[in-house]
Amino acid sequence: MPYVPAVMEMENAIIRMMDDVQRALQKPPSERRWGMVIDLTKCVACDACTVSCKAEKKTPPGVNYTVVIKEEVGTYPNVRAVFLPRPCMQCENPPCVDVCPVGATWKNEEGIVVIDYDVCIGCRYCVTACPYGARNFDFGEWYTENTPMLEPYETAPTFEYGEERVRSEGVSPIGNVRKCNFCIERLREGLLPACINDCIGRARYFGDLNDPDSLVSEMLRERYSFRLKEDLGTNPKVFYLS
Amino acid sequence: MAKKTETNQNQITRRDFLKTSAVVGGSLAIASGVSAAFKKMAGLDGRMSGALAAGEYPLNKAENTIYSVCLQCHTGCTIKGKILDGVLVKIDGNPYSPMNMLPHLSYDTPLAEAARVDAKLCPKGQAGVQSLYDPYRITKVLKRAGKRGENKWEVISFEQAINEIVNGGTFADGSKPPGLKEIWAVQDPDLMAALKADGMAVASGDMTLDEFKAKHADHLDLLIDPDHPDLGPRNNQFVFQAGRIEHGRKEFAKRWLKDAFGSVNWYEHTTICEQSHHIATIQVTNQYKGNGSWGGGKEHLKPDFANAEMVIFFGTGAFEANFGPTPMSELVTWSMSYRNMKIAVVDPRLSKTAAKAKWWLPVKPGEDAALALAMGRWIIENERYDAAYLENANKAAASADNETSWTGATWLVEIKNGQPSRLLRPSTAGLTADDGGELDGFVVSQGGKLVFVDPNDAENPVKGDLFAEGAVNGVRYKTAFQLYKEETMAHTLEEWSEICGIPVRKIEEVASEFTSHGKRVGVDFYRGPVQHTNGYYNATAIIMLNVLVGVAGWTGGIGAGGGHWHEDGSKAKGPFNIVKGMHPGKLGSYGVTLTREKWHYEKSTLFQRDGYPAKRPWFPYTGNVYQEIIPSAAAGYPYPIKALFLHKGTPGFSAPAGNPTLAAIADPDVIPLVIADDIVIGETSMYADYLFPDTAIWERWGTPHITPAVQAKTSKIRQPMIDPLPEKVTVFGEEQPVSMEAVMLAIAEKLGLPGYGVNGFGDAADFKTRQDYFLRMAANLAFGDKEDGSEAVPEADDDEMRIFREARSHLSGVVFDEERWKAVIGDESLWRRVVYLLNRGGRFEDFSKVYKGEKLAHPYKGPFNIFVDNVAAGIHSLTGEHFYGLPTHEPVKDAGGQELAQDEKKYPFRLFTFKHIYGGQSRTVGNYWSQLGVAKENYVLMNKADADRLGLEDGDLVKLVSASNPKGVWDIPNRGKKTVAGKIKVIQGIRPGTVAASWSFGHWAYGASDVVIDGDVVKGDARRATGICPNVVMYEDPVLKNATLTDPIGGSASFYDTLVDVVRA
Repeated sequence: MPYVPAVMEMENAIIRMMDDVQRALQKPPSERRWGMVIDLTKCVACDACTVSCKAEKKTPPGVNYTVVIKEEVGTYPNVRAVFLPRPCMQCENPPCVDVCPVGATWKNEEGIVVIDYDVCIGCRYCVTACPYGARNFDFGEWYTENTPMLEPYETAPTFEYGEERVRSEGVSPIGNVRKCNFCIERLREGLLPACINDCIGRARYFGDLNDPDSLVSEMLRERYSFRLKEDLGTNPKVFYLS
Repeated sequence: MAKKTETNQNQITRRDFLKTSAVVGGSLAIASGVSAAFKKMAGLDGRMSGALAAGEYPLNKAENTIYSVCLQCHTGCTIKGKILDGVLVKIDGNPYSPMNMLPHLSYDTPLAEAARVDAKLCPKGQAGVQSLYDPYRITKVLKRAGKRGENKWEVISFEQAINEIVNGGTFADGSKPPGLKEIWAVQDPDLMAALKADGMAVASGDMTLDEFKAKHADHLDLLIDPDHPDLGPRNNQFVFQAGRIEHGRKEFAKRWLKDAFGSVNWYEHTTICEQSHHIATIQVTNQYKGNGSWGGGKEHLKPDFANAEMVIFFGTGAFEANFGPTPMSELVTWSMSYRNMKIAVVDPRLSKTAAKAKWWLPVKPGEDAALALAMGRWIIENERYDAAYLENANKAAASADNETSWTGATWLVEIKNGQPSRLLRPSTAGLTADDGGELDGFVVSQGGKLVFVDPNDAENPVKGDLFAEGAVNGVRYKTAFQLYKEETMAHTLEEWSEICGIPVRKIEEVASEFTSHGKRVGVDFYRGPVQHTNGYYNATAIIMLNVLVGVAGWTGGIGAGGGHWHEDGSKAKGPFNIVKGMHPGKLGSYGVTLTREKWHYEKSTLFQRDGYPAKRPWFPYTGNVYQEIIPSAAAGYPYPIKALFLHKGTPGFSAPAGNPTLAAIADPDVIPLVIADDIVIGETSMYADYLFPDTAIWERWGTPHITPAVQAKTSKIRQPMIDPLPEKVTVFGEEQPVSMEAVMLAIAEKLGLPGYGVNGFGDAADFKTRQDYFLRMAANLAFGDKEDGSEAVPEADDDEMRIFREARSHLSGVVFDEERWKAVIGDESLWRRVVYLLNRGGRFEDFSKVYKGEKLAHPYKGPFNIFVDNVAAGIHSLTGEHFYGLPTHEPVKDAGGQELAQDEKKYPFRLFTFKHIYGGQSRTVGNYWSQLGVAKENYVLMNKADADRLGLEDGDLVKLVSASNPKGVWDIPNRGKKTVAGKIKVIQGIRPGTVAASWSFGHWAYGASDVVIDGDVVKGDARRATGICPNVVMYEDPVLKNATLTDPIGGSASFYDTLVDVVRA
């Protein structure tokens, strides 16, 4: 048999996951269970996810839907580093939801914890309630304020929750709490969350956890996984492989 | 559409800040401007209008997509730009390209489908949006209104600037620089050729100076120095110095400066990057061309990360910097995860790659050769090298052995006075051809019998003994491999271990693993080992590891990458042969380069005058010796200069030991005229007399070449994604954005340089705008490398033509004009092929074609020279001694070739730098999402053991001092002093006894401080002034005194040889 390099038989993970999403979209929303799998062995701590999210959502200073936590472990010369990407965990039992006094945030039928900016009063109880630090308050800052020009990338429209919004003073989402929504507006189009696409180490995966044939289900079947702060009973839908 | 026009106008108005005092006042004015803008939008229906209907997600539409090429770092990844209402709102990777997707989409994938697939891109590339829309971008032409560097400017018209640059202008401080018309001395191509021939004849001794002077009596005033005609004409006193420039612009600028203006002094920045890595690789892979000459070597060889089983990174990694993270990361993480590939990382810092490695080898900076030679010793002693491969002495022997490369391991080397001198020649060995004629090639030993070998002979295989020594006709010889072995045996493993700081056990483990996977291993190296005075030797010692295991060309081994189609038209005699033809009236150039690069000192009249030592080093093997350009001009050696064109470069900031460079560029007596183009007023461009706005990466054209880390054949095309922000001006009667290209074209028009304007490319082919140039390049790529056109890309169909137009509907006619573009190409079919190419951002070989079983589809085919005869032939211009032909361990040396005395007691820390993923060297500080958002600032990294000893804690402010900068200050002319200070970060992941700082911070310009334009203050942004840039404490050379230490062979500037002390600031 002639030698065939393994890479030649490699599957394009992005295309596979887009197919998975398409398949999930054929089902009623309540039968989908969106989840993310992050392979920590492949995270290179580049923050391509962080920046992809910021560019996609035009989030201001102080608002980050996803971050990468980096920590050094050990003593020279026996040192390693641990890289942990942290989006919203999209908990099955989200502690942030119950504390909202106005019902502005809830878990939708696809399992994504969403915020209605037009209802949110900006009290920030949910920010405190989230055990993962995944929620930030939009104080209305801009990256390019106090420079010669407020730049158009900050004032360009965004499409969060399928609503075209132009961020501006006194208007939502300024004055609201903001968080990762698994790019629900992209899912609706059959696209993946932006952070998945831009991951240069191919550490981030996404799909329907209810679909046994999805890539994420396959990975969770085959590899050991864990979730953050499982003891709290939040039941996150972001899984880590190590 | 109405809305679109409104936005464009709005943009231009807001961009006009340099002229509009209302927005210069600071935050208050800005805030009110913002809300006004929003109210305007809200006045419609609270949304943007037009195609963006509510609920629709517009960023996955082909009609809103333009593919181009990044340049936030030199990797130049293919990118997908998403454009909304004329604004580039998001940048992702191009799914058609092997740089961004694994495996990448088939080239014939419909545009609508590809638009839905976002491919990966590193954070720096994504933050390109913020480099493009940097609030400190300049959009109009600036003329210095104070002293150089005082950062007081007046806005002048482009026409005035060009006129003054060509004819001479005056400045408020009384300086009156010469115009370029005074410097453009020789204008006649025939005269240039005659002066060149005779000037070179004087240098070689074939013509006397008197004869020259008699023959050229009428033209002696055109020369820099009639007593030294080999220095060339006064044209050479105009110097072009580029920082980041790459294919496309590179050839555009060379055509202008070298071929039309007639100056030899064209430079880019490579020696402050990794030039000795290039030069060593080239020399080791050079082919013998006969008559003692060599050429054709490769600049890069990279592991095939997708198939290797073990990879060693020396002073680089896969996840930061290198060449580069976007294409390399996934190959490495996938291979480690699914194929159990093991990696070792040699780096004094626990880089992100080292953090994932099985072995982290925190080497002492600069001692890479000791480690590589130690591994070589272990491999030889344990006979773990591929002897059969190494014995293949020529191409035929390699082919017979199913190899694409062969080695000089068996070639015999003459030994003189106990030292290897040169390769033994057949004539010396008494070998002649059957007909008695002379043989040109080398000699191997076969069981003691000396045999001729032609290394390039593809018919007659020759193998030789790996180990042999003896004498013939009174000349002693040894094999190159024997000599290499002796280099590895110069020290015991224990001694090597002591020198490089890596335990013997680890050296053995890594060497053992490296030699346990047959052909599926490779060593990658880049900047770390080579930015030292011994960079070339470190590099050759590292390359030898790849040679020992014979992995070139093998799947899982090392390769030179997939290569590219030829945009310059030189290969296929395609539609437009731009590089080798199409230049009517081409002037040409000659003379000793300002940096004495690509020149043997002994072949100059200055050698006849001065002998050894030369006043400053000559660099016969390298080019683009960036750190030596301005210091040479300041020293007036080999000649003073009159004018400098600084393009996207910041030598005062990014080259080591920058104080003398800043002092020189600030002094009109040293460099009478400084013109620059930049997108933001930078640390060095602030010293310009005239500063032109340049187009940013996403606004311009380019044809950069593919990184060798990609095994698929790839040609990338950069094209404008938005209307450039710089003002539009008229050159050759055509409106165009101010840019490097427009400046060159305008000067060409004003001076009357040959090869521009009407029929600039020859009959009926005008050269009036940048697109006249780059569209022809694009056409060559679309046509391919086959003369019969059989390799051309498909024609765009009508729907693709529609998408092409719609995706560019936001561009003004100056940037995109279909009829104008089509007219440049000339042919409807070729035009549609160009559109097909532009619609995909380049052309990309199919993933299925990258490997042919056990071999790479594009393998390296050529030799590995173990004894580098070409370098051994050269002479160090200060010592007068020959360079050394073998990999060797060498201490830090000064320009005079003397070992540098270093006081380890007074300065106990070895300083090094690194590049994190968020930043480039000097141009990413406006990236608020990533560099300022994630990294925020940089630090002086120090091991906890050292910090504890010094009583330092996280966040303590310290400064760095060194023997050549004992006060630790930047001396910034006409601005003041700045301490080389930063905050300490105490970590475990760094070798004790070293300190490090990342690039990208420590700015005092580039938006970090105030500038005055037309009397109004533009306030700087304090966020951009954080952190530390340690360059200026790096050693000044004690012989040269006004420049840094430099590798005399590879030309790399020394970044990692300096000892510093860390003191509280």
